[in-house]
Amino acid sequence: MSTESLKYLNPESQTDLKTKVFPRPGQNTTGVINWLTTIDHKKIGVMYGMAALFFLILGGVEALLIRSQLWNHNMDILSNREYNQMFTMHGTTMVFLVIMPLSAAFFNFIMPLQIGARDVAFPRINTLSLWCFIAGGLILNLSWICTGGSPAIGWFGYAPLTDTRFAEVLGDMGPDFWIFSLQILGLASLLASFNFITTIINMRAPGMTMMRLPVFTWMTLIVSFLIILAFPAITIALVELMFDRTYGTNFYDFLEGGKPHLWQHLFWIFGHPEVYILILPAMGIISEIIPVFSRKPLFGYGLIIFSGAIIGFMGFAVWSHHMFTTGMGIVATSAFSILTMLIAIPTGVKIFNWIGTMWGGRIRFDTPMLFALGFITMFMVGGFTGIMHSSVPIDAQHQDSYFVVAHFHYVLIGGALFGLFAGFYFWLPKLTGKILSEKLGKFVFTLMFLGFNLTFFPMHYLGMIGQPRRTHSYNEGHGFETWNQIATVGAFILGVGIAVGVYQFVTAAFNKKLKPAGKNPWDARTLEWTLSSPVKEYNFARTPIIKSRDQAWENNYGDKDKHSEKEPLGDHGVHMPDRSWCPLISGIGLFVFVLGMLFRKTIEVSDNFLATPYEVAIGGCSVFILGIIMWSLEGPGGYHLFPKENEE
Amino acid sequence: MKILFNKLQAISIAILPAFILFLGGCSRVDHKQSALDPKGIVSQNQYDIFMLSVWITIFLFCAVGGCLLYVLWKYRAKSAQEAMEVPPQSHGNSVIEVSLIIASTIILVILAIPTLQGVVLMNRVPDPNDTQTLEKLDLNRSAIDGAITVNVTGKRFFWVFEYPQYGIVTANELIFPTSRAVRINLRTEDVIHSFWLPKLAGKMDLMPGQENFLWFIANQEKILLGKDANGKEVKYSIDDAMPPVFNGKMRERIFAKQKFTDEFEAVGGLFYGQCAEFCGNSHAYMSFRALAQTDEDFNSWVKSFQNAQNPNLQPSAYNSENEYSKGSLVTFSDKSLGESATREFRAITEVAQGEAPNLSKKVWTQANSDDFEQGKKLFSSLQCVQCHAINRTGLGSKGPNLTLFGIRTSLAAGWMRNDKKNLTKWLKNSNEVKFGNLMWNGEGVDDNHPLRNLEDEDQKVKQLVTYLLGLK
Repeated sequence: MSTESLKYLNPESQTDLKTKVFPRPGQNTTGVINWLTTIDHKKIGVMYGMAALFFLILGGVEALLIRSQLWNHNMDILSNREYNQMFTMHGTTMVFLVIMPLSAAFFNFIMPLQIGARDVAFPRINTLSLWCFIAGGLILNLSWICTGGSPAIGWFGYAPLTDTRFAEVLGDMGPDFWIFSLQILGLASLLASFNFITTIINMRAPGMTMMRLPVFTWMTLIVSFLIILAFPAITIALVELMFDRTYGTNFYDFLEGGKPHLWQHLFWIFGHPEVYILILPAMGIISEIIPVFSRKPLFGYGLIIFSGAIIGFMGFAVWSHHMFTTGMGIVATSAFSILTMLIAIPTGVKIFNWIGTMWGGRIRFDTPMLFALGFITMFMVGGFTGIMHSSVPIDAQHQDSYFVVAHFHYVLIGGALFGLFAGFYFWLPKLTGKILSEKLGKFVFTLMFLGFNLTFFPMHYLGMIGQPRRTHSYNEGHGFETWNQIATVGAFILGVGIAVGVYQFVTAAFNKKLKPAGKNPWDARTLEWTLSSPVKEYNFARTPIIKSRDQAWENNYGDKDKHSEKEPLGDHGVHMPDRSWCPLISGIGLFVFVLGMLFRKTIEVSDNFLATPYEVAIGGCSVFILGIIMWSLEGPGGYHLFPKENEE
Repeated sequence: MKILFNKLQAISIAILPAFILFLGGCSRVDHKQSALDPKGIVSQNQYDIFMLSVWITIFLFCAVGGCLLYVLWKYRAKSAQEAMEVPPQSHGNSVIEVSLIIASTIILVILAIPTLQGVVLMNRVPDPNDTQTLEKLDLNRSAIDGAITVNVTGKRFFWVFEYPQYGIVTANELIFPTSRAVRINLRTEDVIHSFWLPKLAGKMDLMPGQENFLWFIANQEKILLGKDANGKEVKYSIDDAMPPVFNGKMRERIFAKQKFTDEFEAVGGLFYGQCAEFCGNSHAYMSFRALAQTDEDFNSWVKSFQNAQNPNLQPSAYNSENEYSKGSLVTFSDKSLGESATREFRAITEVAQGEAPNLSKKVWTQANSDDFEQGKKLFSSLQCVQCHAINRTGLGSKGPNLTLFGIRTSLAAGWMRNDKKNLTKWLKNSNEVKFGNLMWNGEGVDDNHPLRNLEDEDQKVKQLVTYLLGLK
C-alpha cells in the first residue's frame, strides 16, 4: 500500500484506500455486521465477556442441579449418568468457557489501554481467537444432543475411562466432543497469548518501560507465557486420546500396553499451570484495585511482579501433587510435596504486599474494593487448605474427597471469580461511561460472599467425615445430609448473587438511570483512566509519553516532571484499520471442520478400507484455508481520523 | 460508610449461628467413614499431621486476617473528605518483605519434616529388625513378622479381596486381625479406582497395569474405645466391638446394635471404605467394609473359608469304597427336587466302608431345607453361576465371590444390609436399588436374561434368598 503523504483536510471525511482483492467493510459499518467483522480490541473484549457470562450462567445452572441432587441421600433428581455428565460439563465449562475467557476479556479490553497502544499487535488474529472460543463453546455444548449425550468422564478425563472399551453407552460420542472442543479452545488461547505477548513487548508507548507496566499487564504477560508453554502438553495428550478412540492406537490402553499414567502426567503438566492461568489475572486485577481504593501505590511492586513470575515458573514444577495417590514412590512424592510447599511463599508474599499497600492509606469500601477484600480472605482460606494438600500424608485422606472440592472452589470462586467481579465493578464505568449502582453492587457482594461461604465451608467438614467427590449419591447413615443441605441452600444464594451481578453488568450500557462516570471516577492511578469513558475507538488521540509508573495519579498529584506528555499528530492522523470478514470465515471453517471430524463414520476394518466420509471435514477445512488466503490478500485497507488533542 | 458497617454487622450476625452450629456438629466427628477418628497407626499419623497443619493455618489466618482487619479499621476513610486526602506514597520496605518471606519459610519447614516422615511410614512397613522405629511406633515385632497380605482387585463396581497366604478369595468385606500388619496390594482389571479406608489407612489408587501398595495396622485399644448413643466415651469388650465373623456373631451383633440409618457406628470393629476415584456410572455405589478380628477369630474365619473353598472338601456322590466320619456331607440323587437332581446329606454317625449305600439306612439326614436345595439349583439354572463363584476361588469370575455369603454383613458392595428383605429387593430388580450396576447392565445381560425376569417370581426369589443366606 502506498503511504505517500496525502493531506486530509477534513477530519470527518472518509478516505478510501483501495483494497487489493477482497473488499473489507468500511468505516461506517454498523449493526450486526459491525460486531461480526470488528477488529477493535474493545469490542472483542466485550464479546468475550458476554459469551463468558452466558457460559457462567449455564455452568451455574449445572452446579445448582448438582447441588439439588445432593440435597439428601439417594435422591433421584438426576440419574447417575446425568449427574456425571453434569459435573464434567460444569468443570469444563467453568475452567475453559468462563474463567479463562473472562480473563481474556479483561486482557483484551484493558491491557492495550494500560500500555498506551491503539490496539493489539494482530487485531484480526484477535478476532479469530474470539470466534475459535465461541466455536469451542458451541461444540462442547452440542454434545448434549448427540449419541451418549455429554461426556461423563470428568473435566480431567482420566484414561482409561475415556477409552471406547469402557464406554457405558454404545457409540458414546461425548468424549469426542470434549476432545475437539478443548483442542479448538486451546487454539483460541494460544492465538490470543501470542498476540498479547507481542503487543506488550512491542507496542508500549514511549517511556512505558517494563518496570512501569501496570501489574495487570504484567500478569497478562505472565499468563500468556504460561498458556503457550502449558497448552502444547494437553494438545498432545488430546491428540493421542483422539487416536486411541478413533484409530485404535494404544497410548493409554493398558490392555494393549499403553500407560494411563502418561495421560495423568501430560494432563497435569498442563493442568497445574492452568490453575495459575486462572488465578494470576485475578491477582493482577486485585493489585490494581487495592492501591486505588487505598490511595497509595502498590507496596513492593517489584516483589509482586517477581512473585507472579516465580509462581508461573514453579507452576510447571508441581504438577505431580495431583497424583500423590497414584503410587509414584517415596522420592517423587516427597520432592513434589516440598516444591508445592515452596510455591506457598510467593503466594503469601502477594497477600502481605496487598495488606502493606493498605497500611497507612485512606481506604474506601466501594464495591470493587469489597470484592478485592473478599478475594484476599477467601483466597487465604483456599491457600491454607492448599498447603495442607501439599503434605502427602494429609493428601492421602483429602484426595478426591469433598475437602478438595472446598479447597479449589475457595481458590477459583473466592479467588478467581471474586477477582473478576471486582474487575467488572472497577472497569465497567470505563467501558460504558456510566457508574454502576453501588447499592446493587454491595447487595451482590453480600449475597455472593454469604452464599459462597455457606456452600463451600461445610464441604471441608464433609470431606473429613468421608464424603467422596464425584458421587451422584450417598448412602444414608453417614451424617452427610445436614451439611449438604446447608451447602445447597448456600449454592442457591450464591447463584442468585451471581445472576443479579451478571444482570447488572449486561444492562449497564443501556441503563439510563446511571450517572455518567467521567474520565476517572475512582481517582485511579493507571493510564487507562486518562481516557474518556467510554473510550474512543482510536483510544489515544496522541501517543502518550510515559514518565512514571502510576501515570494517571502522577498527572493529578505528582511533580510537573512526572506528568505525561503527548507526541504530536502526524500528517496522516490516526490510521484506523478496516473491519474484516476473514477471521469469521476462518472460524466458521474450523467449526465445520470439527463437526465433520466428529460425525464421520468409524473405520470399516472388515473391508480393510478407510470408508470414512470426510467430505464435511474437508469442506470445512477448505473454508478455513480460503479464509486464511482471503485474509492475506485483502490488504490493510483503513481510514484516517484527525481527533483533537483532548478528544480521548 | 455507616450503612456498610451495619451491613457487615448483619453479615456477621448471620454467619455466627452457622458457625456455632458448625462447631456443635463437630463435637462428634467419629462418623462411619470419618478421617477424623483414626483407629490405626498410619491413619493416626495422617491425622496428627493434618491437625498440625490445621493449627498452623488457624494461627496464620488469625495473624494475617487480624492484621488485615486492623489495617481496614485503622486506615478506613472516615469521611468523604478524608477519602480524598493523599496519604504518603510509600512504595515498599525490603526489610519487612524479606523478613516475612523468611518467617513463612520457617513455618513451612515445621510442616515439611513430619510430612517427609509420614511419606516413609505410609509407603513402607517398618523393618522388623529396626527396633528403634518399632519402639517409636509402639509396635511388636510379631505384628510385622506375621503381617498378612491381601491382594485387592478393583472392578466396576465392587472389590475382590484375595488372601494369597491362605489361598482364599472373598469380596467386598475385608476381614483382618488387629494384632498384625496388613499389607494391601492394589490392582485393577478395568479403569482406575481408589481404595479409601479413612479410619485405618487413607487412600491409594488402583492403577491399571501397575501394582500399588498400602498398609495399615489397627489399634485394638482404640477400636474398643467408642462412644455410646449419647456421645459418652465407653470402653467396649471384645465381644461387643469385635465379635467373631466366622460363626455369624458379627453379623448378628451389627444387625442388633446398629440401625443402618444411624450416623455413628455402634460396633467398633466395623469399618467403612469407598472407591474414591471416578470410575463410571455407578462409582458412588462402589463401597466396601473392613471387619476387625482377634487373632483367634481371624484364624477360624480363614479356616472356614479354606474349607469352603477347598475343592477336595466339596460334597461328592456317596462312594461305598469310602468310610465317612460323623458330619460328613455326601450327595444322593433326589427325584423330589427334579429330574436328575441331587441333594446333600449329612452323616449322623460314623459310617463304615459300604455300610450305608442308600438313604433307607438311618445314618443320613438331609443337610439342607428344600428351599435351599432348590435355590442352589436355581443359582445354576438362572445363570448366576456364570459370574459368581461359590465355594471356589474363581478369581477370573465377573461378579463378586459369594462364598459363605450368609455371614456377610452387607450387600451390593457395602451399599445395604445383607438381610432377607434387602436381598429379595436386590434380586427382583437390582437396577432399581443400584442404577447402572453390572449385574443388571453388564455384557450379555438383556431383557431375556432370567435374572431380569425375577420381578414376579416370588417363589424362585425366596429359594435363592434361602440358599444364599444359608451359605454359612
